[in-house]
Formats: sequence, structure tokens, C-alpha cells
Amino acid sequence: MAAAAGGGFAGDVPIIHADNLVSNVKSVNYSRTFLSIISGVVAGIWGLTGLMGFVFYFIVMMVASLALLVKAKFSVHTYFDSWNRIILEGVIGGLMSFVLFWTFAYDIVHIF
Amino acid sequence: MAEELVLDTAIRDWVLIPLSVVMVLIGVLRYFVSKLMRSPAASPSPDPKLVKEGQVVIRARNLRTNVQFIPAKAFKARKVYYTNEENGLLHVPKEEAQKAQAAMFSDPNMAMDMMKKNLSMIVPQTLTFAWVNFFFSGFVAAKIPFPLTQRFRGMLQNGIDLSTVDVSYVSSRSWYFLNLFGLRGLFSLILGEENATDDAQKMMQMGGGFGFNPTMSLGAEKDSLDIIQHDWALPKMERHAEDVLKKLLKK
Repeated sequence: MAAAAGGGFAGDVPIIHADNLVSNVKSVNYSRTFLSIISGVVAGIWGLTGLMGFVFYFIVMMVASLALLVKAKFSVHTYFDSWNRIILEGVIGGLMSFVLFWTFAYDIVHIF
Repeated sequence: MAEELVLDTAIRDWVLIPLSVVMVLIGVLRYFVSKLMRSPAASPSPDPKLVKEGQVVIRARNLRTNVQFIPAKAFKARKVYYTNEENGLLHVPKEEAQKAQAAMFSDPNMAMDMMKKNLSMIVPQTLTFAWVNFFFSGFVAAKIPFPLTQRFRGMLQNGIDLSTVDVSYVSSRSWYFLNLFGLRGLFSLILGEENATDDAQKMMQMGGGFGFNPTMSLGAEKDSLDIIQHDWALPKMERHAEDVLKKLLKK
């Protein structure tokens, strides 16, 4: 996430380098997917069931958002075009992977 | 309902793990097969006219996205250059447009290409599904760690016709479906982003049919260039620079 997406604002018109923005969003998605798989395995091994697992997932995602914010040096608009990119991007998409790996690890460790 | 079912560990070793591993491997295989099938299609040198039209569209698009950085006069001159009705670059005479469309439909390469892409997606899925059905149908293979309502029974216990088993138990056929959807994330990690977007692009190409028709996109680009509002950003930029410099001096 090294590349800066925006130089600044000219009046109301944001100046955004589209390629860099795409690359930033891509790296956000990558880290989210990675985290959703890892957190799924962790939740399964810990034996979380029911609502606890989903709570765990959203806590992990919130921590990830925080980490991304730190990584962007707290100036979201330098790297992204809106806050949603950092907070919501990839959260729902990762849920399916999370559920799969959660179930997989949980079954292997606890059910059999 | 309340008591736990005891699942044989052999199910884990011979169904759950192999099924997931096979799904991952088939996904990887599919990726490489589709890559192999795609590469020879790209190699014959494309029609120069198509390339030229594509480049014109890209130039017009660049003008459209960067419109706020040039003065109004410059924009008007460029707009006329692209869109005027006699010899503008984006203007396509009516009869020629129809001819191009007809040529598009009769071009067998296009249909072939789409067929190949579809086949690389459908064939492995059908084969895996048949394999799962043949070997693993009719028993519980997994248990999801959260409760669900009765509505999900059809989805999760596909192949088991017992209404007394708790809904959170998953039959092997349904485990296959869970894998199918859930592994997309893993594939985007191990195969790179392009694989994840592949399916969406296929959908788009199918929906658009001949969406990659440059003559069509010329017309579309012309329309969007016609309706665009010119708004020069640079006068505001001077004020912005003044603010920044003042702030710097104050420090």
C-alpha cells in the first residue's frame, strides 16, 4: 500500500490517480481475504460456535480496519476515495471463506 | 434432536479432507487450463482497423476523464475533433455500423471463444459433482458450528431425506457446494486477483454478447462525450495553492 492515491483537492474536485487507487483497494481486499481464512481456522480450532464465531469475525475485521487506518497514517483520503474503502471493502466477501474454513477446522478438531 | 450424532473418523479422513483438497486442486487446474486455452486465441495479429478504433476510444476516454484540467476552449476544439458529424473520429456512418454488427454475428471465432470459456467452467464442475454424487451421496459429512432454521435444510442436507436430523449437519453433496462458493477467496490468494475477477468478466461478456464491439463503443463514447459538462478546475487550483503556501509560511 505504498502508492499515494491522491495529491489533494482542487476546490471540490478530488484529484485521484485511478491506477494507484485500484492497487490500494486490491491490497485491502487481499489482506481481508487472507485474514478471513486465517480467522476462520482460528475460530474453528478454538471451538467457537453459534454467534460467537460471527462476533469473532467482525472483531477481527474491525481490528483489520484499525490496522489499515494506521497503515494509511490516519489520512484516508490520501490513499482512498472514501472511508468505506477502509471499513467495508471485502468484509462481506470474506464472510463466505470465513464460514467455510471455520466449519472445516471445527469439524476436524471437535466433531470427529 | 438434542443429542449429538457421532460421526466416524473415517468420514473425516476419506470424505471431508479429500473432497476439499480435490476442490482446491481442480480450481487450480481449471485456472491453468483456461490460461492455456486463452493464449493461442490472442496470438493471431488483430485487424488493424479494430486496433485503430480501440485506440480512438481510449483517447476519447482519456479526454473525458481529464476534462477538468484543460480550458474550455481547448475542450471544445477536441470535442469537435472527436464528435462532429462529417469527419469526427468517433462518428460512424449508419450503414457502416450495421455492416459491422452483421459481421460480428457471423464471425465464428467469437462464438468459439465464448464456448471454450464456458466449457472450461462447466465441464470440471459437472465432473466433480458427478464424482461427489457417485461416491459420497447419502450421509452426513460435516457439521456447521452455528444453528440454522429449518429453511436451510434443503440447502445443507441435499441428498438426505430425514427430517429429524439437526439442520446444522451437512451432507457431503452440500459440503461440495459450500466449497464451491467459499473457496473463491482462497483462489484469489493463491492464483492472484485475475482469477477472482474472471468469473465476473465472463458474466459480463455473456450478458453483453458482443460487448467488445469497437464500432458500438465508438458510438457510446461519442454520446458520453456529447453530454459531458466542462468544468475547469485549475482556477480553483491557484487559490488552493495560495492556501497551502500560506499554511507553510505560518509554520
